[in-house]
Amino acid sequence: MIDAPLTTRDIARPLRARLLTRPLVFYLSPIAIIALIPLLPFVNNYIIAAMVRALIFIALGQAWNIVAGIGGQLSLGHGVFLGLGCYTTGILFNKFGVPPWIGGFAGTLISLAVALVMGSMTLRMRGVFFALATVAVSLALVQLSRHFVDLTGGADGLALKFVGTSLWAMQSRSPTPFLYAGLAFVVAYYWTTRWLLASRFGLEMRAVRDDEVAAAAAGVAAFRTKLTGFLLSAALTSVAAVLYIQYYMAIDPEAAFGLSQAIQLQLPALLGGLGTALGPVIGGALMIFLSEITNWGSTKIGVEGLDILAYGLMLLVVILRAPKGLIGLIVRDAARGATK
Amino acid sequence: MSAAALEVISISRNFGGLIALRDVSFKVAEGEVMGLIGPNGAGKSTLFEIVNGNLPPSAGRVSYFGTDCTAMPAHLRRRAGMCRTFQKVRLFESMTVTENILVAASECLPAARDPRDEVAAILAQFRLEPQAQRRPSELTLADRKRVEIGRAIAGHCRLLMLDESMSGLTHEEAEHLITEILALNRSRGITVIVVEHVLSVLAAIVKRLVVLHNARVIADGTPSEIAHDPVVIEAYLGTKQTALR
Repeated sequence: MIDAPLTTRDIARPLRARLLTRPLVFYLSPIAIIALIPLLPFVNNYIIAAMVRALIFIALGQAWNIVAGIGGQLSLGHGVFLGLGCYTTGILFNKFGVPPWIGGFAGTLISLAVALVMGSMTLRMRGVFFALATVAVSLALVQLSRHFVDLTGGADGLALKFVGTSLWAMQSRSPTPFLYAGLAFVVAYYWTTRWLLASRFGLEMRAVRDDEVAAAAAGVAAFRTKLTGFLLSAALTSVAAVLYIQYYMAIDPEAAFGLSQAIQLQLPALLGGLGTALGPVIGGALMIFLSEITNWGSTKIGVEGLDILAYGLMLLVVILRAPKGLIGLIVRDAARGATK
Repeated sequence: MSAAALEVISISRNFGGLIALRDVSFKVAEGEVMGLIGPNGAGKSTLFEIVNGNLPPSAGRVSYFGTDCTAMPAHLRRRAGMCRTFQKVRLFESMTVTENILVAASECLPAARDPRDEVAAILAQFRLEPQAQRRPSELTLADRKRVEIGRAIAGHCRLLMLDESMSGLTHEEAEHLITEILALNRSRGITVIVVEHVLSVLAAIVKRLVVLHNARVIADGTPSEIAHDPVVIEAYLGTKQTALR
């Protein structure tokens, strides 16, 4: 069973036992396989680069999944925190030589401050105000990042200064180090999500998602829970932004704060399964796989934007045929199989 | 003399020009089982939401065991033991029965106690163990109501407010639920307020009734007194015969 709900038997078990529901080898095998892929003779940089992109978007999708999937707060402009993380890291490095290890920390603090202000103003309201506020802030930041040309590079964006392969600067000519960094992010975010789902805080988030009034009637501080979930998600997005900017080496207003980017952050969880730990992993991998195929198709037939069309179609199919994502389909089929 | 479990003091509530409650006052003694009745639109639900902290009053105060809780948020009232159910059952639909109860047990129990023990005790008390791993959508209405009451009392409960918990149940299911509610009152010493609009249902449970009509309290007494009160008969019940039917 994937991300199964707690049962009476489960809650009698300690947290560690609830998290490790299968033998350790089950969790370590996929990590080992991905880690060993660069060593295979037929694997080239193109394949590794595609895997890095998948891992980056899986991590970003996992971060969004916390606020939207587990917490039920639809943050439509979550690119705000990706952009703030990327720009802060990039500007501090280019202008002041601050390494991304510290720049990313600063970016996360800025994201937390912005999320705190946004959340405090909108999360007490019921309805669509929060979702609209996130969109409004992201649109404002697109304009601001275009306006302050000296700082952000304006509409052309910001290109990181390349200093050669360096751990201090988190830079490499080869995509392979980013594969391992991306893998570390995905593993860390996956287990963060699993811990959340098994923890008291995760239970509070799910209660608020299901019914805010009933959650308050059960003793849950709904506003504080929503705000904490939002802050956690914003922070994780901003931390993953360090990997994004160091890998792509550039950021521009649309790639940072644009709505198409925000949709790409949402797709892994929407495709794979909202509110589950494994959903964004499957959804993110599928998204990049289809993106690579459509990019290849685009160059063959000379039509741009096929990937956006593919995302739209995928989203449509998921909404109509599998609203709980691919994980929902797998669990449903497994349940059907079990009852046969 | 100990403070009342609940004291509603001159509560009024307006929605724009509409007066939903006008100077409503009553007390509920600790350990009492009290009924609150009134026809649709009398102001029962508005009063319920104000007492529970989901709606601020336009005027007046709510006192809970001697403490003014008018400005206290709903979740803090719950943690202080003020518990409720909803007119239309509101469970956490993505969660199992166990998880539904665990939410409240985790929030409302003292830190030294294990919420898992409380969940197990409530599942046993309401005979919900066979349904423990089911989701609410798989339950009968009677079981959903029992889960909601179980969640409502989990952790710490001194005052339980039931909002039309018998509605939609068969006669037999309602009787079972009444037995369980009275058992809670006796075994845990929980003060109970039952909101219904059918007097015959309440007459079997409570020794005292408060009647709301047109945003005001029009009567306060035993079920027998209420059934014979000419103001109640005229304003709400129609005739004595229909009142006790």
